[in-house]
Amino acid sequence: MTYNLELDKIVEEIKEKEVKQVLIQLPDGLKPRAGEIVEVIEKNTDASVFIWLGSCFGACDLPLGLDILKIDLTVGFGHNRFLKEEW
Amino acid sequence: MTRALFIDAKWEGEIKVSGKLQEYLEKRKPKSIALFSSVQFLDVEDFVLELENAGIRVLRTKAKRAFSPGQILGCDCYADCFSDGIIDECDLILYVGDGMFHPKALLLSQSRSSRIKPVVIFNPVSGGVEEIDKDNIEKQVLRIKRNLRLFMNANSIGIVVSVKPGQQYLKSANELKEKLKSEGKRVFIFLSDSIDSCELENFPFVEAWVNSACPRIGTDDVVNSDKVVVNLREAFSPLEVLEELG
Repeated sequence: MTYNLELDKIVEEIKEKEVKQVLIQLPDGLKPRAGEIVEVIEKNTDASVFIWLGSCFGACDLPLGLDILKIDLTVGFGHNRFLKEEW
Repeated sequence: MTRALFIDAKWEGEIKVSGKLQEYLEKRKPKSIALFSSVQFLDVEDFVLELENAGIRVLRTKAKRAFSPGQILGCDCYADCFSDGIIDECDLILYVGDGMFHPKALLLSQSRSSRIKPVVIFNPVSGGVEEIDKDNIEKQVLRIKRNLRLFMNANSIGIVVSVKPGQQYLKSANELKEKLKSEGKRVFIFLSDSIDSCELENFPFVEAWVNSACPRIGTDDVVNSDKVVVNLREAFSPLEVLEELG
């Protein structure tokens, strides 16, 4: 038994939006599966896929500065949207 | 601009009342349960039915910052994150998921209460059941109180604002800066990506720091550092918070 990584959905999104460069960001528990995820995406699309080395604390923790590298899409695993409010 | 796509990574196994959880519930006999999950374990419709068929009333709410009903985030660690009072109302708080980060938020949200209810963690992957209680946040609460006292007496304050869009609260930081300046303090705003306590060492003229990013920095990370760090929210009314913490 495992976690549903919805790789079909990611592949479909990349094809539909003609994404060229993708960054995947995973929580620590899923990081060991990063290699397998990259291989599936690259095998089924024309996109180049990169792995975020750093933290993945939540949807509040998306990597910055990706425009410079022309990353079109960040796929954040293990989190969903959240509602930001001032403290 | 880089777009974001979130994948919940839902657990594909069954979430059932069985084994150690069943034994625990038979022993505790709760009449009502406040049920929370992390996003991987949100598919609990059948689990809720099982509990209800066992005569247990299941209370659910949408935490303030969470997107989905029943979901808990680590930053939902204040009492007002649960507006309908189900924490007070329930016999038992049950968290379905793995790890300690999320269930500890449920304890921290009660830290200003005179009676902190334990949180029962049910991990559907291992089948394990664990109860955590006020002892699990004792160190944090002591450190929060110590830091608030030192913050109140500090004359030179550094407010850290994260550049992560999801954790950036510059507006509130500026409001706090004006408040503290009106009290005669020197105040500086620092920008950073992550907040590394080692970096704080490089600014010895700052006597106390205010964290405006993830509130768990001011509740959990502070235990491993001697630096005086308080959360932005508490920094607006430190005396009131100290009185509430007792």
